[in-house]
Amino acid sequence: MLTCLKGGRVIDPAHDRNATGDVWFRDGRIVEAPTGGSSADETYDVAGMIVMAGAIDIHSHIAGSTENAGRLLLPEQHRASSASPANAVLSGARSSTFETGCRYAIMGFTTVVEPAVAPHQALQAHLELADVPIIDKATLAILGDDDFLLGLMRSKESAAAVRDYVAFTLDATRSLGIKVVNAGGAAAFKANVRRFSLDDVVPSYGVSSRAIVKALQHAVNELRVPHPLHVHCNNLGLAGNADTALATIAASEGLPLHLAHLQFYGYGREGERSFSSAAARLAEAVNATPEVTIDVGQVMFGQTVTISSDVLRQFNARNQARPKKWLIFDGDANGGGVVPYDYRRTDFYNAVQWAVGLELFLLIEDPARVFFTTDHPNGAPFTTYPDILALLMDRDLRAQWIATLPPAAIAVTTLPSIRREYTFAEIATMTRRAPARLLGLADRGHLGAGAIADIAVYSEHRDRAKMFAAAALVFKHGDLVVRNGEVTHYRWGRALAVRPDRDRAIDTRLKHYYDARYGLPHDIFSVPEGAIARDEPFELVPCAS
Amino acid sequence: MAVAAIDGRPASLEAAVAAAARLLGASRLPVIAGLGTDIAGARAAIALAERLGGAVDHMNSAALLRDLDVARAGGMMVTTPNEARLRGDRLLLIGSALLTAWPELPARLLTPPAPHPDGAPLDRRIAWLSPGPAAPRFPAAADIEEIGCDAGDLPGVLAALRARVAGRSARRTSVADKMLDMLADELRGASFGVAVWSAAELDPLTLEMLAGLVNDLNAETRFTGLPLAPPDNAWGVLQACGWMTGFPMRTGFGRGYPEHDPWRFDATRLIESGEADGAIWISAYRPAAPQWKASTPVIALTGPQARFGRTPDVHIAVGCPGIDHDAIEYLPTTGTLAMVAGKTDVQTISVARALALIAAAIPGIGALAC
Repeated sequence: MLTCLKGGRVIDPAHDRNATGDVWFRDGRIVEAPTGGSSADETYDVAGMIVMAGAIDIHSHIAGSTENAGRLLLPEQHRASSASPANAVLSGARSSTFETGCRYAIMGFTTVVEPAVAPHQALQAHLELADVPIIDKATLAILGDDDFLLGLMRSKESAAAVRDYVAFTLDATRSLGIKVVNAGGAAAFKANVRRFSLDDVVPSYGVSSRAIVKALQHAVNELRVPHPLHVHCNNLGLAGNADTALATIAASEGLPLHLAHLQFYGYGREGERSFSSAAARLAEAVNATPEVTIDVGQVMFGQTVTISSDVLRQFNARNQARPKKWLIFDGDANGGGVVPYDYRRTDFYNAVQWAVGLELFLLIEDPARVFFTTDHPNGAPFTTYPDILALLMDRDLRAQWIATLPPAAIAVTTLPSIRREYTFAEIATMTRRAPARLLGLADRGHLGAGAIADIAVYSEHRDRAKMFAAAALVFKHGDLVVRNGEVTHYRWGRALAVRPDRDRAIDTRLKHYYDARYGLPHDIFSVPEGAIARDEPFELVPCAS
Repeated sequence: MAVAAIDGRPASLEAAVAAAARLLGASRLPVIAGLGTDIAGARAAIALAERLGGAVDHMNSAALLRDLDVARAGGMMVTTPNEARLRGDRLLLIGSALLTAWPELPARLLTPPAPHPDGAPLDRRIAWLSPGPAAPRFPAAADIEEIGCDAGDLPGVLAALRARVAGRSARRTSVADKMLDMLADELRGASFGVAVWSAAELDPLTLEMLAGLVNDLNAETRFTGLPLAPPDNAWGVLQACGWMTGFPMRTGFGRGYPEHDPWRFDATRLIESGEADGAIWISAYRPAAPQWKASTPVIALTGPQARFGRTPDVHIAVGCPGIDHDAIEYLPTTGTLAMVAGKTDVQTISVARALALIAAAIPGIGALAC
């Protein structure tokens, strides 16, 4: 069936489109406008509306055993209050996988990356993702605190061995990329280390955090995995940690590197409370280092729960839990922690954090290198996205918010001096085109012929938050899934994964290793082909040739 | 052997499904109980309960919720069976039900693993608090100090132990002071200590004291916990219930959205009080049967050997997950969900399939979303 979205303002930075026009699609793919007067089988009049590709979230903790522990730890924080319609079963179950898919779709998001899957927990993550309706998803597998990798590095094995192991992990976990979380920090914490920075050494392995990051960065790059190594730096949340982030940016050394939720590393030690924004310094470094990309991890005020594989950080933060309960988990490699937190407008530190995130968005010049995240749910739930988009697009709105915050907090930031306002084209770059390119998804994030017909149509409204909160129309693979901000029906997306080639000798070696170390089959933690009972649950993303 | 029965008389699967659908269609508040099933079965059960406006409970919810309550009221540190095995240099075992909860415990925890090729062998010492009168046989290699005390004394003993660990004085308990001091020194001397317990036999106060003891020990060293999951895939079903509804079992959908209440949605209470007017009992791993006295109509999905106090209105024989068909379930030895391949060619249907057939036969329900 040939469909035409007629007369909307089409914003597609990949093709320099930013004007009134039509978008055509057939059988789930965008097509060129037909010539010779053939007409659409179905036409939507979208005059006065904004038409963009479906949005892509590169870092949102929506599935997996740690996320699920967060649900189970905080039943009082997601009491439901509305019944689920039969066409969107369990969508009223707050914080459920079903609600997650619906809420994302309603905002016009069509692909979301769960960025922290411990390889031994990958099956559960994929089972949860399979119950997220509508959107496509992907996982990043965590390496860097696992005995096998650290053992390879301790015995100074070849880069090829590390590469093969990374390739095995991507295959076994069906992941799109590799993340490293406070590299070596979880292993060090098991040896009773309580502070761990970039040049600290993991006890008993003699390997520095920096060396782990570099080994994985090279392996991912050499395997031609599209998404660069995704780095959660050391010292998250600590005053003065901008120095750690700057050192990590410098450690990119000409190869691609992605730094996650940089806001949480944007802190200096200025001011009366020795806590200040260092966002300007970080933005300057990012602007000067083209191989580095970052996502923000914006903080918004309100109750949330922090869910992180940085077990050391979560352990150290457990006594700041709001409310006072927490779960700390020493995993086979990384583990993690669940610590609820309430970001308060009246709290000096929380107000600085809020400002740091916006400064990063506004001071990093290239919207293709700063990615739109709240590190859901760590900085804020993803449902706050419309408010954040509004803040980026409207300096008067920012001024109104600033006026309600502690002046002492704002005084240690540069936010009031920033006049920049994001344009629609920059929003589309940041949330569509750039994430697709960062993840290696050639047929997403744009509206050119051949692209998957993942399309979001918004009614233009002066209140940008209102506009982005509920799309007028959302198509997933050309299928109308949201109309007037409501889900029309479920469909089931896929998990996107890469599978770079490897020397299969690594499989034999891992078989012996798992047998000796764990007394378990080496593939017991793998995600088998038939584990997900849906049609075509996975989609292979090619590595660069 | 009959694949199904209606009122105790052999019936075809089709007839049993139709009878079950009629009972459920006429029920105002059905409860899906037992829930001894794999992930696919749990997902189907939860989806069906949601559509029916019913409730879900698991036969081992009580133990599961005792552990969970400690975490959701305060805090808890836990680890995996693998880390306990590989790294635990001081193990504190608590209670007499550990081997029931995890029969592989001696093989996995009490005999030290082969030393890592590059590492020193683990100097593992084990204290077993309240091992019970019929202490199990231990492997000869295990170095175990048994410390007898009645289960009822555990909260007091653990409170005294916490005090001694923190260097404070403590009231006398049924365990000799000298022994407690020795144990406190042992625990504080851990490099990576692990407390191992099964909530099946421990009361909430004991669990709270244990969680507190573990947390306190982390002031100076590393210590963590290994709660053993109850049987019948309770932990696996908990995970599915968590991601699908946001809540653990004992969740009801009567208002169209999930509500979690451990008292209201206790299946036994719902049945015996008459609030629930229909039940599906699921026990696919073993022939467990409910001990309900009320005459509520029951649809039973169990292995063919189950013996019921009262004949269920409808019985459908289902296969054992991971034996008769491939299954995803929680494995105590990995501490994760894992795929387990079927081992027989017995032609029984799975819980998920049986529930899908029943759902499809209820007017207005149709295909389940998952």
